[in-house]
Amino acid sequence: MASPVDNLHPEIRGIKGDGQQAEDKNQHVEKEGGLSGGERDMAPVTGNSIHRSGSRPLLDLSKAAIQGNFEERDPTILLPNQSDDISHLALDIGGSLIKLVYFSRHEDQSVDDKRKRSMRQRLGFSNGNRRSYPVLGGRLHFVKFETCKINECLDFIHSKQLHRGASNNLPRWHSDGPTNENAIIKATGGGAYKFADLFKERLGVSLDKEDEMDCLVAGANFLLKAIRHEAFTHMEGKKEFVQLDHNELFPYLLVNIGSGVSMIKVDGDGKFQRVSGTNVGGGTYWGLGRLLTKCNSFDELLELTQKGDNSTIDMLVGDIYGGMDYSKIGLSASTIASSFGKTISESKELEDYRPEDISLSLLRMISYNIGQISYLNALRFGLKRIFFGGFFIRGHAYTMDTISFAVHFWSKGEAQAMFLRHEGFLGALGAFMSYEKHGLDYLLAHQLVERFPMGAPYTGGRVHGPPLGDLNEKISWMEKFVQKGTEITAPVPMAPPGTTGLGGFEVPLSKGGTLRSDASALNVGVLHLIPNLEVFPLLADPKIYEPNTIDLSDHRELEYWFTVLSDHLPDLVDKAVASEGGTDDAKRRGDAFARAFSAHLRRLMEEPTAYGKLGLANLLELREECLREFQFFDAYRSIKQRENEASLGVLPDLLLELDSMNEEARLLTLIEGVLAANIFDWGSRACVDLYHKGTIIEIYKMSRNKMQRPWRVDDFDAFRERMLGSGDKKPIPHKRALLFVDNSGADVVLGMLPLARELLRRGTEVVLIGNSLPAINDVTAMELPDIVVEAAKHCDILRRAAEAGGLIVDAMVNTADGSKERSSSVPLMVVENGCGSPCIDLRQVSSELAAAAKDADLVILEGMGRALHTNLNAQFKCDALKLAMVKNQRLAEKLFNGKIYDCVCKYEPSH
Amino acid sequence: MDLEVTPAGANSDTRSDARISHLALDIGGTLAKLVYFSGNKKLLNDDRVQSSAEVGGRSSSVLHGRLHFAKFETRKIDECIAFIHSKELGSQHPKELGNGKIVKATGGGAFKFADLFKEKLDVCLDKEDEMDCLVAGANFLLKAVHQEAFTYIGGQKEFVQINQDDLYPFLLVNIGSGVSMIKVDGNGKFERVSGTSLGGGTFWGLGKLLTKCNSFDELLELSQQGNNRVVDMLVGDIYGGGDYNKIGLSSTAIASSFGKTVSANKVLENYRTEDLARSLLRMISNNIGQLAYLTALRFGLRRIFFGGFFIRGQCYTMDTISVAVHYWSKGDAQAMFMRHEGFLGALGAFMSYNKQGPDNFIHLMKQDPKHEPEFDGTAPEEEDSEYASIDCFLDLA
Repeated sequence: MASPVDNLHPEIRGIKGDGQQAEDKNQHVEKEGGLSGGERDMAPVTGNSIHRSGSRPLLDLSKAAIQGNFEERDPTILLPNQSDDISHLALDIGGSLIKLVYFSRHEDQSVDDKRKRSMRQRLGFSNGNRRSYPVLGGRLHFVKFETCKINECLDFIHSKQLHRGASNNLPRWHSDGPTNENAIIKATGGGAYKFADLFKERLGVSLDKEDEMDCLVAGANFLLKAIRHEAFTHMEGKKEFVQLDHNELFPYLLVNIGSGVSMIKVDGDGKFQRVSGTNVGGGTYWGLGRLLTKCNSFDELLELTQKGDNSTIDMLVGDIYGGMDYSKIGLSASTIASSFGKTISESKELEDYRPEDISLSLLRMISYNIGQISYLNALRFGLKRIFFGGFFIRGHAYTMDTISFAVHFWSKGEAQAMFLRHEGFLGALGAFMSYEKHGLDYLLAHQLVERFPMGAPYTGGRVHGPPLGDLNEKISWMEKFVQKGTEITAPVPMAPPGTTGLGGFEVPLSKGGTLRSDASALNVGVLHLIPNLEVFPLLADPKIYEPNTIDLSDHRELEYWFTVLSDHLPDLVDKAVASEGGTDDAKRRGDAFARAFSAHLRRLMEEPTAYGKLGLANLLELREECLREFQFFDAYRSIKQRENEASLGVLPDLLLELDSMNEEARLLTLIEGVLAANIFDWGSRACVDLYHKGTIIEIYKMSRNKMQRPWRVDDFDAFRERMLGSGDKKPIPHKRALLFVDNSGADVVLGMLPLARELLRRGTEVVLIGNSLPAINDVTAMELPDIVVEAAKHCDILRRAAEAGGLIVDAMVNTADGSKERSSSVPLMVVENGCGSPCIDLRQVSSELAAAAKDADLVILEGMGRALHTNLNAQFKCDALKLAMVKNQRLAEKLFNGKIYDCVCKYEPSH
Repeated sequence: MDLEVTPAGANSDTRSDARISHLALDIGGTLAKLVYFSGNKKLLNDDRVQSSAEVGGRSSSVLHGRLHFAKFETRKIDECIAFIHSKELGSQHPKELGNGKIVKATGGGAFKFADLFKEKLDVCLDKEDEMDCLVAGANFLLKAVHQEAFTYIGGQKEFVQINQDDLYPFLLVNIGSGVSMIKVDGNGKFERVSGTSLGGGTFWGLGKLLTKCNSFDELLELSQQGNNRVVDMLVGDIYGGGDYNKIGLSSTAIASSFGKTVSANKVLENYRTEDLARSLLRMISNNIGQLAYLTALRFGLRRIFFGGFFIRGQCYTMDTISVAVHYWSKGDAQAMFMRHEGFLGALGAFMSYNKQGPDNFIHLMKQDPKHEPEFDGTAPEEEDSEYASIDCFLDLA
C-alpha cells in the first residue's frame, strides 16, 4: 500500500486549507492546462492512498496549485451549475418564459498517466485525445426564467459570463473586462426580436434570430434521438416512458402548444412542414383564464384546476339527457356536450362561478380540442406518433391526460399522444443546435448521462433568484430552503392512478391540499455529454437490453428501496464526514448532503417519474452523485484501505492453500471464495451488522465454510466443464476474460484476484474492470493497480501478468519499450468502466472497456449491484458468469424465491 | 319527389291561428325547437284535391296546410309549454299510445322534460333518436326544399342547386350547444363520426361570462360591432408586423385567440364587450370549420352542410366557417348552410309520425315567394320566433 493521503504532496497543504480539495484541483490542472473548473464528471478520485507519487511530476503540481489557488478565489468553480470553459448559450424567449440552454465544457477527466497510456496501447485503443470525438465533453444546462423577470435572466447570464463564451474559448475571470463586440447568441421565440436591444445594451451581445419552427424540430429530433426514454405517454394519470427505435422515429407529428398551436409533420433532420395549427392554444387558456379568474400567472391558473369541478360550467351529455348516457353514439353522461354550456344561466354571473371550475373547464376544452385536431392531422398523413410540446403543457398531468384521452378516443387507440421530458426546451435546444460545429448531431444516447443536482427536487429546472456563488452558499441555500420549504415539499402519499372512462373525464388527480407550482412538472437535470462512453460491444442485443432487474414502477418495490436508502443515510453521512476528517466543515456538508438526498427521495416518492425512467441503478447512482456534489469524493476511503490491507495480509496463505489442490477442487474453491468474499458489502445492511461480530478473515472463513452446494442458482458444473472439460478433452482456454469486480477488501483480494490468477495461469488474459468513480466501498479502477502490485509481491503469476499488463509502472519505466517483458506472460490489465455507481448500465461504458471487450470471450460479473440488481438477465455474445451472494432477504425472495445469503452462480455460454 | 302544385288560394288562411294538428319537438341543451303543422283543409277520401300529384294513387288521408317553425330557450321551457297550450293540439293529432296525446320529440330534453310535458300538457313525448332526426330533417330539406342550401363566401350568398342523385355522401355538421358531425350516406344511413364541445353553448356561455349579455342574439349583435384585433394575438403581433410567409401565415391570421388578454395591466372591464364577442365568435366558428374540414377530408367528403341554431344566418359566423373550410382545404371543400338550419332535428322528429318512415310524408306545395325567408347578406334572419313556414300537405297513409 502506498502512503496515506496526508503525506502526499505536502507542498500543497501549505497553500490549501483543505488537502482534499487541493489535490483534486491539482489533478484537474494537470489534465486541462489550468483551465479546468470544479464540476466533475469523471473526476479523479483523489486523496486515496493508492496514488503513487511517482506517477505525477511534482513540478506541475505546484504550478497547478497557483492556478488552482487562483481559481479557488472564485469558488464558483466548485459548483455544479457553475461553468468554466463556456462554449455556447442559446435562448428561446417566449411570451411568458425565457428558456436557456447553455453548454459548459468538461473534458474526460480521467487521469492519463503512463500506466493508463500503456493500457490503452495494449488494448489497441489509440488515444485519449478528445479531438477524435465530434463533440466536446461537457454539460448542457437547462434553465428557465419568467419573461417578465428578464433582468434576472440577464443577471444570471452576466454572473455566469455565459455571453462571453460564444466568441472566445478562454474564460475571462473579470466580469467587467472588455466585451467582444462581435459576440453573438443564438435566440428564437418572439422575444428574440423584442429584447434584442436590451441584450445589446446590457450584455453587449447580438441576438442572432433563428427560425422558430426550425428550432423546434431540431430540438425535438435531438431529444428523441439522443435521450433514452425522453418520450412518455400519459394516460389516466399514469406516465410510461417509451423507448423509441431511432430507425422508426420518422415521420411524426410535432404539436407545439405555445400561445397558438403549430402542427408540424417531421420527416427527418431539417425536413418538416407545418401542416396545421389552431389559434385555440395556450394563449387562449391563459388569456380567457385571466379575464375570467383574475389569476396573475399561468401557473396560478393551472393550479386552480386541481380543485376544479367542470360539471358546474360545462353542459354534460347527462345534463341534456337528464342524467342518462347517450350510449347509442358512445357518449357517457359525463361527456362534455358543450363547454361552458351551463354558464348561460340567467340567474348567475361570472362572480357566482368558482374560478377553479372555470379554469378546469377551460383547460379541458382547449386540451381536448388540440388533441382532436392533432389526431385528425396525424390521420391525414398516416402518422402514428404525435409528440406534444410547448409551454402550455408544463408536465401538467391533467392537461396531458386530456390530450391523450382525445387522441386515444378519436383514434380508437390507434394513435398515441406522447410528451417530452424536456418539452419546454425544444426551441432553446434547437437554437443551440444552430451553432455551427457544436457536434451535437453526432451524439448518441449512450454518450449522454442526465444528472440531477441538489436543487432539482425543488425547482424542477427553474431558477429562483441569483445563481449560487459557491459551495457555502449552496449549503446555506439548502439549509434555508429545506426549512422554508418543508411544508411545501412534504411528501404526499401517492394516489392510485385515477380512472377516466369513455368520455368520462372526471376530476383530475388531486395532489393534496398543498401544492407547489410545478408539482406535477417533470424535473429536468443537467445533461452530461461524455463522448467517450460506448455501448458495451458484447451485449447480445443492445436494443432489448434493460439493465435493471427490478422494476421500480412497482410501487411497493419503490417504497422498499426508499426505506432502505433512508435508513442507510445516517450511517453513510457518518462515514462521509469521517472520511473528511470529521471537521465542522465536513459535518456541515454532511448535513447538507443528507438534506439534499432526502429531498431527492421525497420528490421521487411523490412523483416516481419526476426524473425520467427510474431504475434501482439510477437511484443508487443518484446517491453517489449527491455525495460528490457536496465534495465527498470517497466516503469509504479509510474503510477500503483498512480492508484491503487486512485482506492482502492473508492472501499469500490463501494462495498456498489453493495451490495445494487439484484443478477441479481448486476451481470450486475459487468460485466458493468469490461467493464467500462477496459477503463484504457496506451497501448491505445485513453485512454491516455482521462486521461488528468478527474480523474480516473470520467472517470470510465462516462464510466459505457455510458454502453448501447446490447454491440457489448453480451452474457451476457447466462452468467447470467449459473450463476443465470432461474426461480427456481439454477445452481451449478463453482468450480474454473481463472481470467486473465489486467491493474492496476481501471481495476483490480474496475472491476475484485468486480467480483472475487462475485464469492467467490457464493462459487467459485478464482485464479487471473497476469503477471510474467511487461508490460505497466498491473498488475503483484507480485503486486496483496498487492492489495488484501489492498482491504480486507474493505471487509470481500475478507479478509477471501485472508487468505484462503494464500495471507495474516502475518496471515499465526501466524497460525501453517493454515488449520483451510483456511476452513472458499473458497480461493482467485494469480498465475503468466509466461509471460511479454500484450498479452498471452496460449501454454506457468507457471507451477503454469497449476496446478491451473486443477480444474478450468471457465476462464475469460479480456482486449484487452488477450481477443481480442490474444485468441478471443481460445476454452476452460471449460466455458469461454471474456471481453474487444475495445479502438482502427481500431480493432473495423476489428473484429466486430464496433467502438471505443464498448464492448465485449463473453461467451462460455464448449466444 | 315532385312538388305539388296547390290550387290558387289554397293557402289563404294558413297564417291564421289554426289548430296544430301535428307537433314535433327538438329540445336541446340551449334551445327547444318546434315544428308544427296547421291544416287549412282536411282532405279525406271523399274530398280530395283533384290533381295530377295525387299521392301515389293510394287511398290515403291527406292534410293540407303549413309547416311552422318556432324556437324557445330551453331554460324557459314553460314558455314553450304555454305556447303549445295556446295552440291546442288538434283532433287530428295522432293519439295511438295510451291515453294521452303523443308528441314526437328528440334531443336530450325529450328525456329530461318528459314528466313536465305529461303533467302540464298531458302529452307523452315519444322519443326519437337525435341523430336519426337530424339526418332525416336534413335529407328532407336538401331534397325537397328549393333553395335550401347556399354558400356564403365573401359576403355573397349563393344558393346551390343540388342534384339529388349526387347528394350523398355528405358531412352534416349540426351546431347546437355542442357540435355533432355526421357522415350521411343516404336515408337513414349515417354515422356520427366526430363532434366537439366547442359549440353554440360555448359561445353563449363564455360570451355571457365575458360580456354579461342577456341573450344569444344580443351577443351576436355585439359581435357585429367588434374588432377582434384588440383581443386576439395575430401573427403580425408576434413577428413584428411582418407575415410569417415561410409557413403561409399572413400577419392578420389569428395566432392565438384571446392571446392579447394575458396583458398584466388590463382586466376584463378594460375590454370592449363587442371585441370580446367578436373574438369568441371567430374562435368558435373557425374551430368548427377546421374540425369539419378535417373530418370531411378523412372520409373524402366534399360537401359539408352546417346546421343548428348557432349559425342563425349570421353572416360573420358563416363567413368565418366558410373561410376556415376554404383555407384548410385549399378550396377543395365547400361549406354550405341551410335556411332551416335550426330545425333539422325537429323536422326529423316530425317526419317520424309517418310509420313508413320519413319518405313521402311531407309533400311540398309550390313555395310562395312572399314567404321566402329573406337573406340580404347582412342582417340576421327575421327576429320573431316564427320562421318561414312551408306550404305543404301531409300524407297520413
